[in-house]
Amino acid sequence: MNFEQFQNQSPLYVIGALEPEELEEFEKARKKFGKKAEDYITECYGLHEAFALSLRPAKASAAIKQRLMAMVRARK
Amino acid sequence: MHRKAKKRARVAKPTTRRFSAPPQLEPGAPTDLQLMHGIQAEDPDALSLLYDRYNGILKALILRVIHNEAEADDLLQEIFMEIWNQAKNFSAQKGKPLGWMVTLARRRAIDGLRKKQAYARAEVRLQVEIEQQPDAWVHNATEEEIVLGDTRALLRKVINAIPPAQQQAIDLAFFKGMSQREIAAKTNTPLGTVKTRLELGLKKIYDALKELKDEL
Repeated sequence: MNFEQFQNQSPLYVIGALEPEELEEFEKARKKFGKKAEDYITECYGLHEAFALSLRPAKASAAIKQRLMAMVRARK
Repeated sequence: MHRKAKKRARVAKPTTRRFSAPPQLEPGAPTDLQLMHGIQAEDPDALSLLYDRYNGILKALILRVIHNEAEADDLLQEIFMEIWNQAKNFSAQKGKPLGWMVTLARRRAIDGLRKKQAYARAEVRLQVEIEQQPDAWVHNATEEEIVLGDTRALLRKVINAIPPAQQQAIDLAFFKGMSQREIAAKTNTPLGTVKTRLELGLKKIYDALKELKDEL
């Protein structure tokens, strides 16, 4: 796999859409390309933020935060 | 926030610029990174602020996956508890706090979808959605853009610019955690076509977001 192919596969990797045989090849290329591969993958994870931020926020029940904070303070 | 956390937060350096921007912060409000440092220092107030800032976005993401209001609320609570427990594993070198939280929330939501055996029920709902609005992202965009914030409107515009079939493939992969083979079976589409749709669609979104990064 060359770096351009690696770049094409990276967005599929970050959304978990690579098939097992593709994943194996991808991981080999990831090791081969080292830091520039890691940097590119990190950048592709921006897709996660983009997809989440493209949704209209939903309102959570007020009780959720109360329960969460009570649990956190109890564990401290 | 604890004094120690504030001190640590002040020396934190910004991370590499990424695509998307979090909601606009009030002047003087702690950044996401400062809040993560606060959580790492076990400051509940930092978690409280982070919750206030992102519970709506994360709940929307969870709802998109599991389509159940009560389950989404429960999962949201579990996810923020995991953020509290796993904050020590967050590294600014690997990306922004929001990206880390979204990745964690998506994984938990997809796990939850399968674990709670809601998958079959969601599939029925999903099938109805696919039949009724194969281009759900497109479908909602026009009316929503009127009220959406700038960031969301821009992101919608980017996503809506790709063909509906590519949107659908990405939607099923990202929000439902489906593999290419599952998408192919679900949509009666050849596997190679699904792969091409995912690659082209994601590349277009990635490239468009890079071009827009100064506006986001």
